[in-house]
Amino acid sequence: MRILWVCLAAAALACAQEPASVFQNVCGKCHPPEAVVTPRARAQWQETITKMIGLGAKVSPDEQTILLDYLTATYGPTAAGGRGGRGGRGGRGGGPTLNGAPLDRHVVDPEGANRGRTVWVAECIECHGTSARGTEKGKNLIQSDMVLHDRYGSTLGPFLAKGHPMMSGRKSSSLTQMQVADLSHFIHERVYDTLRGSPIFQPGQIVTGNAKAGEAWFNGAGKCSTCHSPTGDLKGIGGRYDPATLQGRFLFPRGGRGRGGKQMTLTITPPNGPAVTGVPVVFDDFDVSVRDDKGEVHAFTRSPQLKVVRNDPFAVHDQLLDVYTDKNMHDMLAYLVTLK
Amino acid sequence: MKRITVLPILALAAALSAQPPTTSWPTYHGDNTGRRFSPLTQINDKNVSELAPAWNFRTGVGGGLKSTPLMIDGVLYFTAPDHVWAVDARTGKQIWHKAFETKGGWHIGNRGGAIMGNWIFFLTPDCQIISLNIKDGSERWRKQNCDLDQFYYGSMAPMIVKNKVIAGVSGDDLDRPGYLSAYDPETGDLKWRWSVVPLKKGDPGSETWPNEEAMRHGGGMTWQMPTYDPDLNLIYITTGNPQPVIAHANRKGDNLFTGCVVALNADTGKMVWYFQASPHDTHDWDSTQVPVLIDGQIDGRPRKLLALAARNGYYFLLDRTNGKNLVTAPYAGPNWAKGIRPNGTPEPDPAKMPQVDGALVTPNQGGATNWPPPTFSPLTGLFYVGTTRAFSVYYIFDPDLANPQGWGGTDRGGATLSSSVEAIDYKTGKIRWSHKWETPGGRSGLMSTAGNLVFTGDNSSNLVALNATTGAPLWHSKLTSPVSNGPISYELDGKQYVVVGAGDTLWSFTTGK
Repeated sequence: MRILWVCLAAAALACAQEPASVFQNVCGKCHPPEAVVTPRARAQWQETITKMIGLGAKVSPDEQTILLDYLTATYGPTAAGGRGGRGGRGGRGGGPTLNGAPLDRHVVDPEGANRGRTVWVAECIECHGTSARGTEKGKNLIQSDMVLHDRYGSTLGPFLAKGHPMMSGRKSSSLTQMQVADLSHFIHERVYDTLRGSPIFQPGQIVTGNAKAGEAWFNGAGKCSTCHSPTGDLKGIGGRYDPATLQGRFLFPRGGRGRGGKQMTLTITPPNGPAVTGVPVVFDDFDVSVRDDKGEVHAFTRSPQLKVVRNDPFAVHDQLLDVYTDKNMHDMLAYLVTLK
Repeated sequence: MKRITVLPILALAAALSAQPPTTSWPTYHGDNTGRRFSPLTQINDKNVSELAPAWNFRTGVGGGLKSTPLMIDGVLYFTAPDHVWAVDARTGKQIWHKAFETKGGWHIGNRGGAIMGNWIFFLTPDCQIISLNIKDGSERWRKQNCDLDQFYYGSMAPMIVKNKVIAGVSGDDLDRPGYLSAYDPETGDLKWRWSVVPLKKGDPGSETWPNEEAMRHGGGMTWQMPTYDPDLNLIYITTGNPQPVIAHANRKGDNLFTGCVVALNADTGKMVWYFQASPHDTHDWDSTQVPVLIDGQIDGRPRKLLALAARNGYYFLLDRTNGKNLVTAPYAGPNWAKGIRPNGTPEPDPAKMPQVDGALVTPNQGGATNWPPPTFSPLTGLFYVGTTRAFSVYYIFDPDLANPQGWGGTDRGGATLSSSVEAIDYKTGKIRWSHKWETPGGRSGLMSTAGNLVFTGDNSSNLVALNATTGAPLWHSKLTSPVSNGPISYELDGKQYVVVGAGDTLWSFTTGK
């Protein structure tokens, strides 16, 4: 309130008003903030603002701009937060993968989805299942074209208005508009849960091997003890990584370059000059250059006379990939997680 | 200007009789065979060291130029998602450029357009097929090729077959069925549509699915460019992975016709035969590699053949008249099959399917090869394919073990042991030579020429020419990014050009003679 007051006092300076306050002061006169549960694209928010002005809302041109930016950012189709917001490729955080999605996709409001879950449990779960994937009594809604075309109840609402059996025996047409929107959020959240990168897109129980057998393989057939020791370089490794990361690190240590200090280097011997050793900068059929441990780069054109030797600490790990059985892999993980 | 001499390719050519064009590159593959072989010899293994940049054209659009340009009458036509360009092939100067507003869809890449007469056809990420005038880029028509709300998108280059535009679909985030469509080039009206998966019990292939719900949501996208044999009037399309992608408990069976090469009648879109490269795929391998048509000799008899180096690590040679398997040979050390069925299809090892606690598998999800095109030279009899050997661990993530949806898991970690060009004897599947790149990781398309050359890219952003007979690297040019499409070649004003995309730039090379 104070910010707005100060801004009004300094209106000529085009003071930047706090957008959330503008939202509260302008829209909050009629709408409790929690009523805004329906994300809209920028153009749709413009329409809504225009409509509200038509209905008598007092909004200055500056406030219109601020509101439009604020509503689009906070309740727009690409707003961060709810599922269906920004998504990245891959399975490690960043939300579901939405690369294939339409721009005007349904953006889940998590609070709406939570309210929708209550309706779901009371009225839908028996036939359509916990995750909306259907049962013998009801359809899989994740795969429903009607759901995929829905935005905030746009197709779900008319469908339910026609009457659809519910667990309580009530008519589905008795659901309020808010309840339909909440159900829509809940079902879309279940759809997005099936995408790569969703909160449920994580490894499960992967420590299934036999630690004793893993230890025996470590010291025996696997020959790991040739270079590694549970009381030396691997001391405490089971406490440093979650199991899936640990599995990745012992199978594919090359990806851990820089953290463990080990890197592949090249030793280059020119016909008339001293040999240099360093980390490859360029290494192809035509050119080779390395950065030595002083940071100096040495570049050469490849020729039959230029000797290039790889010093690859990971080569033996690469070879192991054709040796491991899946049992070896599971046993090794079970053993390594015990090294706390 | 002196005409370029063209070696007669009589040794093997029979029914694909017409030589590939030399003064144009009119289709994605250069012709309908998928061989990506240029009969031009002006640039050859003796003089390739003289090859030098003629011009480059920067699109300014990120994401890698995956489009194969079409060169017709001195103009190059190529695409990126939501973009089409026409560029003067002599100078690299832009003639026109069209950018389209998008409604979404995955902008992973666009493989190019197809041209018939005055019209170019291409797909957009937001599921449209659009026809433009090649003179000025003005739009003639657009049609909906798929439903964006179902997370389908467009990425492949359409193909002209007789009087139809053939277009496929991409997208495997939700469990939707794949299909291939034929459109009227004049009006955009749908002429036929072939569903990759059976849609009801009793349909061919339905016996390889547990129920209608599974097959109707069974995937099988059609995002690789098909090939075509005009004598047999057959379109050869390779199909993508089944759905759900990784977790698979609710789709027991071979899941036909996913992971297949399928021959379709070009007039009706009806299936004539199929061969499954990856039955019940659980590794996201698709089988969407180029089905290369070879007119060859087996046991002294001329045969109509189809060669496929699949993403699952196996090379297949088929009789393309009936789909009968002649050769199944591993080319990248796959570990996921426990044997080969009598019909030539590898038998998946259930232990190497994704597990909750993980299964160590090679190839990894990226595959032994991927979409970048291979090439076949009728002069050397070698099938050249860009190959990666990599391991990763495949996990099931979906807690609903009985009824997974979408992906339901993925592979994690991974080590790329090597990247190489493998030269495979097309008759036997045996590797004649292998050229390993010093630094693994890149994936570039290939082209072979009658100049005894194979052009491709390495992971150090070099465009490289290899000796097609021996694999020896003969020439390179350092570009600004790794080669991101398949190179092409054509003759213009008596000069042979090699054109390649790398990052956001199209590069043109010639010897300057």
